[in-house]
Amino acid sequence: MTGGLISEVRRSSMRSAASPAVRPARDHIPGEIGIWLFVAGDLLVFSAFFIVIALGYKTQIELFTQARATLDMWVGVLNTLFLLTGSWFVAKGVESCRETHGVSSHRYFALGILCGVLFVANKSFEWGLKISAGITPLTNDFFMYFFVFTGIHLVHVVVGLGVLLVARGVSRRPVLRAKDIRTVESAATFWHLIDLLWIVLFSMFYLL
Amino acid sequence: MSDQADLKYQLIGAWFGPLFLVTFVLFWGVIGQNLPNPSPDLSADALVARYVESLGSIRLGFIVSLIAVVFYMPWTTALSAMMGQIEGRGRTLTYLQLIGGALTVMVVSFSAMFWVAAAFRPERDPQITQMLTDVGWLCIDLQYACTTLQMVAAALVGLGDKREKPLFPRWVCWLTIWCGVSFIPASLTGVLKTGPFAWDGFFSYYFPYFCWLCWFTVASVCMIRDVHRRMGEAADVRGGEAIGHAA
Repeated sequence: MTGGLISEVRRSSMRSAASPAVRPARDHIPGEIGIWLFVAGDLLVFSAFFIVIALGYKTQIELFTQARATLDMWVGVLNTLFLLTGSWFVAKGVESCRETHGVSSHRYFALGILCGVLFVANKSFEWGLKISAGITPLTNDFFMYFFVFTGIHLVHVVVGLGVLLVARGVSRRPVLRAKDIRTVESAATFWHLIDLLWIVLFSMFYLL
Repeated sequence: MSDQADLKYQLIGAWFGPLFLVTFVLFWGVIGQNLPNPSPDLSADALVARYVESLGSIRLGFIVSLIAVVFYMPWTTALSAMMGQIEGRGRTLTYLQLIGGALTVMVVSFSAMFWVAAAFRPERDPQITQMLTDVGWLCIDLQYACTTLQMVAAALVGLGDKREKPLFPRWVCWLTIWCGVSFIPASLTGVLKTGPFAWDGFFSYYFPYFCWLCWFTVASVCMIRDVHRRMGEAADVRGGEAIGHAA
């Protein structure tokens, strides 16, 4: 996802001359400043989450290793795939809005939303299986962290889906003003953040 | 009331912000022994021992807190007045912020009152003292949504403020929403007794409360500045009129 962000910044700077909607030059920051405050804040909080998980592995190594082994890695892989694909569609959507704005713009966002919905469905399926097997947040510290951290991430995904719906709505407008581009960029930035956070959560819970 | 008097009351209301902050942290946090606060994992006997050990301090802290918490009210009404000017006729968000602030006062008040009741008869059955302590913490930690709505309403009006010199800069509005949402993990205090999401944990206590007071401080500074600026403008207008009359 960082790759997506960087390439987006790069792309926008390359194309600034061609597109009047994009502010000029290399120092263009996608979206509005507030969304980056959100990104910084969430990265800070999730960093603290990651430290908490790492401390759990340190103090209860046996319990954590055993509990981790009961998670199905492929469910996690599938979810990673959904989010990465979704992020790619969203990045394409932003590119399309900036450049050859047309029908494809909002279709890309719709595909991004579809990926997000698949993520939520897969996550619910995984949680449902665990809960029906009698495993809940109260089982042990590992599953408390697992449910709480992936739950907080899931809240982000649901909010992100709402944000993408707004971006899709904006991208349906026949002509996009600079303000509309900024809205779309802000939405995409938030979606990429969700992607980044998931990749770290995925590696800490399923791969470590 | 004259505009001058109106502005004066808005200024007084905004200054109740720093007053609330200092008295609340001092009495609720330090003197009331909430830094650190009692763990939900403490046994009933250990909890009673904690009360007995600093009975005078805990009583003083929470009884004064119950007065200091109402400083949040004039601050909320001053913010409502400023938001009302931005929002115009409908004022849906202004009213939402107003009742959000009012209910925040009640949520904080009730929890402190339960702790005063817990400290009232330390010689009673420890189970009852434990229950009163539980009710106080669950009261304040599970009912944060009143405050979250207050904050989100203020932020939305701030984002819609199209004046040349807005009440809140845009980054403050985003910070407000983020801080308001940071309370969400506190809902887990209804279930967990240990770890970072219990009511004495980092993510359910220290972090969201810090974020709330952080927003409160930043918003207070913006409000005080805004009133001073408008007072200055009003004085300029009066000065201009006086010169006009003299000429």
